[in-house]
Amino acid sequence: MNTLDIKHLSKRFANAEFAAVNDVSFGLKNGEILALVGPSGCGKTTTLRLVVGLEYPDAGEIRLNGRLVASDTIFVPPEQRGVGLVFQDHALFPHLTVYENIAFGLRGRKPAEIRATVNEMLELVGLTGLANRYPHALSGGERQRVALARALAPRPVLVLMDEPFSSLDADLRRIVREQVRGILKAMRATVIFVTHDQEEALYMGDRLAVINLGRVEQIGAPEEIFHAPATRFVAEFMGASDFLRGEATPEGIRTEAGWLSQPTFVSQLAQVEIALRADDVDFELSEMGNGVIVERFFRGAFNVYRLRLDSGQVLHAFKEHTQILPAGARVRAFISAGHPLAVFQNGRAVSRGVMNG
Amino acid sequence: MSHYRFLIVLLILVWGLTGCAPAAVAPTSAVVATQPPADAELPSAVSQTPADEVQGKLVIYSGRSEALIQPVLDAFKAKYPQIEILLKAGSNSELANALLEEAANPVADVFITTELFTVQSLATQDVFQSYLPADADQLPAEFIGQDLTWIGLTRRARVIMYNSELVSAQEAPKSIFELTDTKWKGQIAAAGTTNGSMQAQIAAMRQLLGEEATEEWLKGLLSNEVTFFGGHTDVRKAVGSGEFKIGLVNHYYFYLQQAEGSPVGVVFPDQGEGEIGLITNATAAGIVKGAPNLAAAQAFMDFLISPEGQKLFAELNYEYPLRAGVPLRQGVQPLEGFRLAAVDVVKAALDFEATFDLMERVGLP
Amino acid sequence: MQRILTYRFVATPSRKSPASHWLAIAAGLTALFVAIPLVYIFLRAAGAEAAAWQRLLQARIWQLLGNTLLLVFAVTCGALATGISMAWLTERTDLPGRNILRAMLALPLAIPAYIGGIVHLALLRPRGGLIPQALEGIFGQPVLTPSPLGFWGSAFILTLFTYPYVYLLSGAAFRSLHASLEEAARSLGRTPWQTFWQVTLPALRPGIMAGALLVALDILAEYGTVALLRYETFSSAIFVQLAGRYDRSAASVLSAVLVGLAIFILWAELRAQGQRRFTQIESNWRPARRIALGKWRWLAFLLVAGVVSASLLVPLGVLVGWSIQAFVDAQVLEAVFRTGSRGFSSFVWNSLWTSSLAAFLAVVLSLPVALFSVRYPSRASRFIARFCQVGYALPGVVIALSLVLLVNRALPFLYATPLVVVLAYVLRHMPQAVRSSESALNQLSPSLEEAARTLGRTPLQTLLQVTLPLILPGLLAGGALVFLTSLKELPATLLLRPPGFDTLAVRVWFWAAEGFYVQAAPAALILVLAAALPLAFLLRREQIFTDESANEHS
Repeated sequence: MNTLDIKHLSKRFANAEFAAVNDVSFGLKNGEILALVGPSGCGKTTTLRLVVGLEYPDAGEIRLNGRLVASDTIFVPPEQRGVGLVFQDHALFPHLTVYENIAFGLRGRKPAEIRATVNEMLELVGLTGLANRYPHALSGGERQRVALARALAPRPVLVLMDEPFSSLDADLRRIVREQVRGILKAMRATVIFVTHDQEEALYMGDRLAVINLGRVEQIGAPEEIFHAPATRFVAEFMGASDFLRGEATPEGIRTEAGWLSQPTFVSQLAQVEIALRADDVDFELSEMGNGVIVERFFRGAFNVYRLRLDSGQVLHAFKEHTQILPAGARVRAFISAGHPLAVFQNGRAVSRGVMNG
Repeated sequence: MSHYRFLIVLLILVWGLTGCAPAAVAPTSAVVATQPPADAELPSAVSQTPADEVQGKLVIYSGRSEALIQPVLDAFKAKYPQIEILLKAGSNSELANALLEEAANPVADVFITTELFTVQSLATQDVFQSYLPADADQLPAEFIGQDLTWIGLTRRARVIMYNSELVSAQEAPKSIFELTDTKWKGQIAAAGTTNGSMQAQIAAMRQLLGEEATEEWLKGLLSNEVTFFGGHTDVRKAVGSGEFKIGLVNHYYFYLQQAEGSPVGVVFPDQGEGEIGLITNATAAGIVKGAPNLAAAQAFMDFLISPEGQKLFAELNYEYPLRAGVPLRQGVQPLEGFRLAAVDVVKAALDFEATFDLMERVGLP
Repeated sequence: MQRILTYRFVATPSRKSPASHWLAIAAGLTALFVAIPLVYIFLRAAGAEAAAWQRLLQARIWQLLGNTLLLVFAVTCGALATGISMAWLTERTDLPGRNILRAMLALPLAIPAYIGGIVHLALLRPRGGLIPQALEGIFGQPVLTPSPLGFWGSAFILTLFTYPYVYLLSGAAFRSLHASLEEAARSLGRTPWQTFWQVTLPALRPGIMAGALLVALDILAEYGTVALLRYETFSSAIFVQLAGRYDRSAASVLSAVLVGLAIFILWAELRAQGQRRFTQIESNWRPARRIALGKWRWLAFLLVAGVVSASLLVPLGVLVGWSIQAFVDAQVLEAVFRTGSRGFSSFVWNSLWTSSLAAFLAVVLSLPVALFSVRYPSRASRFIARFCQVGYALPGVVIALSLVLLVNRALPFLYATPLVVVLAYVLRHMPQAVRSSESALNQLSPSLEEAARTLGRTPLQTLLQVTLPLILPGLLAGGALVFLTSLKELPATLLLRPPGFDTLAVRVWFWAAEGFYVQAAPAALILVLAAALPLAFLLRREQIFTDESANEHS
């Protein structure tokens, strides 16, 4: 049995043009960390709030450990769902100490049990010495860990984390997220983790769900999402820089940058786009080439060149940092990927990318 | 965290203040109740019930300003220590209308006014109950209302006072009609329309002279830039200090100011042949119908016209007591020497509304 | 089939949290409570005989309207000029003694304008005042001194005691102003003078507008000072109608016009408020640099010291002097302590408990309104919150008029009890509580409440265990404001107090109206001190008292 099951969940806010959550369905196994990733405003936070019970769904069902908690006729309020939520702003109670914050969700248990649990949590997040501090006397990373400890203390069936690292500096963020993932795995917690940062999603998630405009675009293992995006949006969101137009046949694709010999699912001649990162493209100086160098960006270990093909198509390509070529030089650009590439027709994948290869 | 503690203390303070309000009031009355009657051995002059047996509250609405009634209340309180006196002082009309408003749910026991028209008008609207105070036979008959609804207390005269450093006795106006003389432009002070004595003077003039002449006189005052104060104490002080040369007041304000050592003189106006005569009026009191504390109210009415009460008005406030045989305060000019304007109280009371209309039409402040 | 349909129908409303229903009901009831006097006044005015309208329209209304608007305009301008210049001098220049002056400039808020008027009148009254008399003693003949009476006197004295509203609000705006804003203007070629007019002042506009609104509404409602200084406005004319003739129809008509005027001002402010969304630059906040006044320093100091003297030091000094005089003279002291039906301590007690109770009730009533409007924003909740500000537009005398008539008919058991006075305070000062509660709630992240829900608390438990403890300081600030203004309230208390019930304000007024300034002084002094306590608490919150170094590190 899944810890969480969501079926056809929809939510549209009053006065909103689009649904914030549009027919979303997924399930979550015990002990699994699911990263919900997507651009801001895509509906991932609303999905979380629906699961925890802070919003009322318009349609669909939510089940926790098989128990129906939200449907057309049933709505279990958040205080009865047993779902922990770590807020973006941490939401630590400023009038309570670290200890009292963590103990807040343990009300009704025996004092000895509360003490033991809080101390255990403090130890787990490494804040034993700060139990009597107030939140304003903590650093950002410490607050983050208190928020996590508070959410985990009541042993919720499910922990939801809403962009929990967004208020931290980049350096701190890297350190804290390693700690947090360690803690979550040590607790064997079932987690939904929301972020708009694809790198963070790849790091935190056992699985990823990419959300756009209230819909799940793709759900799968991080590697699958990265290498075999199901839609053009997923490819773009996971870091593809250019989409090269081409004509596809079942055998391969004809493009301005040459023939790509990669089978596709198209049955007949079709217009497609190939998702390319800068390391998939190379070029050489050639008077007879198919484009020119527009600009060079110095990236330390390498240079990135922006190229414009004769049709106006823009591509980016890596070169090592020693090789400096002038803007305006005529070049011949070609695809140099050593692996199958993701190919899209009308935004949907028609070739499975690397996982297939 | 000391910040929070401060807030909590404040909160407790607020709670405490609000929470224990009734509790803190209660002991006060308890103390009053257990006090031994201080003046019990003194012979009570008139009361039908022994002084120490009347207790509870006595609610008085007074058109007389607090300063002019409080000494009388204090003297009454000394005689009846068991009674707690609650006073609401205000203008005659404000209190009169409160009495009308409350008719179904009476709050006040006794109403005291500074002129007769208001009590007369209220009497016809059935606000008072009849009561014949002991010794009422000592009052002139015209100062007892029909059906014993009200009794007169003291008489006062409308006079002109002047600052004797700025105005000589010859110069001082001898008639209220000289107040419209441009010679006094901007130098006269009087009380405004909220003042009962002023209202009554205008009502009396309407009866004596008619609407038009009164209106003309009022307009004359306005164009002469007469300054209208809320009350007469301000007027007498302003004249005493020389801020204004002339003041139109009740006679005792002159004596009160003189007693403070100010250089002031007085004219009892309009005594010449063919003039309207000195305008006088009387303060009065009545027991409100349905008065919650009837015994105390009756004892108070008795006290007001007792020799002791009347003497207080005369001595403390230089007024003319209505009770026969109570001497004037030394130095107060007796009314017997003056020609008094004759005003029909009942008629003036009936026309009181028209007087208000007149004041408003003229734009008297 | 029927059953299922019914079930779905019932289930649909629960899509909104059930807590919001209770809140909506509570907030709606509060709004209804606030609406009663307003609606009643308009009904009475509409029901007044045509004759009353005609009589008033012929002469009085236009003259009163002119008088009132002229005074409102003059005092608002005066308060703006004084308040902004004082705020600028203490916040933005190297004015000598600015740290102490900064607090002193705010303290006149604790002095009711009529008490200030009493002091200035006693000092400056032509010929009779202490100063003209002293001058006459020195020169042997009367010397012409400025008169505190009439329009100019009223405008001057009311400016002295209302400018702190503008001063406090623009001072706070000056303090929060970002240095880079002015620096950007300078770098774009503006002189300091142009920068002030084109950048600084517009950035301060919201604070200044709010201050001007408070001043304007205050002057509309003012009774004691104008009555004392013999300048007739709508409020004092209504009072005269009530005290002189007790003509309720005429009073209702005048009240309706006055309330209409106030609502118009309030509406204009709300419109202006709608356009004032300035983004605050959060990071790297740094106070703007102080301007060196150079040779103007001492002149500026004299100017500020003059304002502080006229609005704070002189009134306090005179009150203290009179109080000492009262304590030295046994007869006066006796009079002071024995006056009134229940003696001196009863005025103090009455003032404190009615104002405290009013503060408590106003804050409690403001809570559902604020919670509803902040946590469940919708057109309805916004309307209720705005509507509850209508008390600003209901001068004390108008509230008194409607309560006198309403209570005796609808709630006779309340009639002639001090609770009616408390009711008037609550109605009049509710907006302050609503605004404070709203701003306190706005500063509280909703995620704190949601966190409590996810940690097993019901909405009610969340309110009690998380929301209330955290917004308590803000609620207390609102309560302090209501307490402070209730303490100073005069006209409603005068008209509504039951027999034998006096407050400090009423007592001071009676004494002063009779010219007994020395007797009035101890009560006035206690009133000012009692008002200064909550004010000090508010100023501490506003960081008026914190010194500069602490300010710049925060």
